[in-house]
Amino acid sequence: MSTVIRAALFQTAWTGDKESMIQVHEQAVRDAAAQGAQVLCFQELFYGPYFCQVQDKAFYEYAEAIPDGPIVKRFQALAKEHGIVLVLPMYEEEQPGVLYNTAAVIDADGSYLGKYRKHHIPQVPGFWEKFYFRPGNSGWPIFDTKVGKIGVYICYDRHFPEGWRALGLAGAEIVFNPSATSRGLSAYLWQLEQPAAAAANEYFVGAINRVGVEELGDNDFYGTTYFVDPEAQFVGEVASDKEPELVVRDLDLAKLREVRDRWQFYRDRRPDAYGPLTAP
Amino acid sequence: MTTTLGTLGNLDTLEPALSVRQVLGLERVLAGEPEVVAGASQLDRPVRWVHVAEAADVGVMLTGGEMVLTTGVLLAGDEAAQAEYIQSLHRAEASAVVLGLGRAFPAPPDVMRRAAERCGLPMVVLHRPFPFAELTEEVQSRLVRRKFAAVSLSEAVRTALTGLITGGAPLQSLLDEVAAHSACPVVVTNLAHRVLATAGERSAVDDVLRDWERIARQAGGNEGDGWIRAELGGRGERWGQIMLCGYRGDTATGRLLADRAAEALVLHRMLGGSAHTWEEQSAQSLLTDLASGVVPARQLLPRARAAGLPVNRRTFVPMVVRDGDTAQLDRVLRLLGLPGLVAELADGVTAVLLSLPRDQDADALAAHFASRLRTESGALKAVVAAAGQRTVWDDVPAGLREAQHVADAVADSSDALELPAVVRLKDVHLRGLIRLLRDDPQVQSFAERELDGLLCAADEDLLAVLRTYLATGRNKSRTAQLHHVSRPALYRRLEAIEGRLGVDLDDFEQAASVHIALLAHDAQQG
Repeated sequence: MSTVIRAALFQTAWTGDKESMIQVHEQAVRDAAAQGAQVLCFQELFYGPYFCQVQDKAFYEYAEAIPDGPIVKRFQALAKEHGIVLVLPMYEEEQPGVLYNTAAVIDADGSYLGKYRKHHIPQVPGFWEKFYFRPGNSGWPIFDTKVGKIGVYICYDRHFPEGWRALGLAGAEIVFNPSATSRGLSAYLWQLEQPAAAAANEYFVGAINRVGVEELGDNDFYGTTYFVDPEAQFVGEVASDKEPELVVRDLDLAKLREVRDRWQFYRDRRPDAYGPLTAP
Repeated sequence: MTTTLGTLGNLDTLEPALSVRQVLGLERVLAGEPEVVAGASQLDRPVRWVHVAEAADVGVMLTGGEMVLTTGVLLAGDEAAQAEYIQSLHRAEASAVVLGLGRAFPAPPDVMRRAAERCGLPMVVLHRPFPFAELTEEVQSRLVRRKFAAVSLSEAVRTALTGLITGGAPLQSLLDEVAAHSACPVVVTNLAHRVLATAGERSAVDDVLRDWERIARQAGGNEGDGWIRAELGGRGERWGQIMLCGYRGDTATGRLLADRAAEALVLHRMLGGSAHTWEEQSAQSLLTDLASGVVPARQLLPRARAAGLPVNRRTFVPMVVRDGDTAQLDRVLRLLGLPGLVAELADGVTAVLLSLPRDQDADALAAHFASRLRTESGALKAVVAAAGQRTVWDDVPAGLREAQHVADAVADSSDALELPAVVRLKDVHLRGLIRLLRDDPQVQSFAERELDGLLCAADEDLLAVLRTYLATGRNKSRTAQLHHVSRPALYRRLEAIEGRLGVDLDDFEQAASVHIALLAHDAQQG
């Protein structure tokens, strides 16, 4: 059996309203499926602007229930129609006033597999996320999808190696890292941290970042979405830093075994010595 | 960029011409029978200058990198002063100390030797009396010559490149100039390591490009091996790199060349405008070379691969778009995630080469691309012509020419023809044939003869009506609609045409003859 899967990432610019933003993403599902993509992940808070550039409670309205809200339902139907696994980074409302930065995972038959809630919430100029989100509290779930075991690690999470490791230990083969990050602030880290995480944990990483400048602030989101393999090599080219782009790449999951047979990081790690890391 | 615009190369950063080892190997120095008695592992230290000093506190006079020559006349008999002397040279970062044996020290002094060994300072003794002046003259003149050569090379390269820039030369001319100085392949890439331009001897460049994936991934690169990189960027933004690949001269000169080249490229780009230009130019030269067939496709393979086009086990779809906007086409490709290259071949004629995995439905994806192009470009009526898919790279040039032929064949009457989203050879029928025969003198005189009555009056309107009428299969209502005239008005024009040409357009053969003549006429114009 072939171990090659065709995986996709989609970076785009804010269209100006939620409904057209959702439609752009629905079209991306069709475009990806037309090329035989079996899994697709969107950018962080995919159907909105990156509203964390300001602190305005009007944007609480973007939150909805997962999985019972309308957007998840809409994309469940689309996933089923095209037989594609979808990772949907969204704004989740558990109940009024209890909000999370979350990603829902839908299997290729349209069934809802679960969600990951972003653990690490920044609060710096241009990224006022603590105003909008409670820190994630749902652990490090791995989703056993039709194409393989998928983990999600959202945006600012990527600066913390512990979560990457937790997902690796739980068996992730691909970890998606949907983000919204801006030029000047993190561009030099963008092509450093996720490849390092992929190498350290010996799995594939798909990193997605939105593009463009939105009306809410000066953040210049620089796209450059990419897949990186367990040897920290980019799979194909890195996407545009300015234009919307669908990235479709073939990932050979057999590479995990090949690399892990060579470098036994999981065998040689020393959790017995890591006690201080978990001291509060 | 790693250097500052406007400075004439910082000489302090230039690698000096000589190391301690090299100085000791000079013929005139060998005459003094030098012996290294300490710090033998440090002999590759650069010597910036040679300094003769008979002073106990010589350290305070140094600025680093000096080889200090002494007879030690002020140090003899004072072991504490000897140790301190070595220490002070070490603190001043002298490159070596050379002690002439003689009256002060008949043999290498142990205290100095041990002190030098401890701090890793090369200590050399000269066993034969030796005039220091000869050594300083020899070394100094070599150092000065090298620095002068570096400055004049730097200046010569800068003058040449500046001249090209102010003369409006294209990027390629700048790179050719750099390659002429470096005598090795020169490669310019964007941040994604996509090759934007190359220069140097073709076969050497191809060797580099063949292995490009691996080379590009070696993040830092090792200057010592002749791989010299300089960053391209300005105004706080980095956007690419220039690389000398396998430079065979000394590293300092290579770095100087790379830095001068980077400066020139930054200036060129700042004066030249848009950020995409180089990417476009690179795709354009590749697709133009492919389509022209002047260079065999196989030889272009390394360039295609280096330009980011996947080429192994792929299906290629050569397409030509008329009246499409290059940037728009590129956007649509990105939006759909289709790997491919876009480049304008001629005014209003753009080539698009898709490279798809073998398991894909190439025809369906080409149609998907064309229909999305229509949606995205709104009113703009771009005609997308495609050749049959190619599974062998060598067949791609023929494919591009076929697509261009199809696009040309329908160019004049795309409105009237009701073309499919992607036009193919089978859709152009007679037009395709006539297009191929357009240069034949007999076809030309046939067209003249048949259309004489309309051409001599130069009535463009009647000619246009005739064109539409025939293209729509003599559909009067459609023709009237396309020309925004009433049916009676159309009838009057058709009668006028028949009168001028002396034919009956209801007669199939006569109409066919006029149609062929008109196609031939249009083909000659196009």
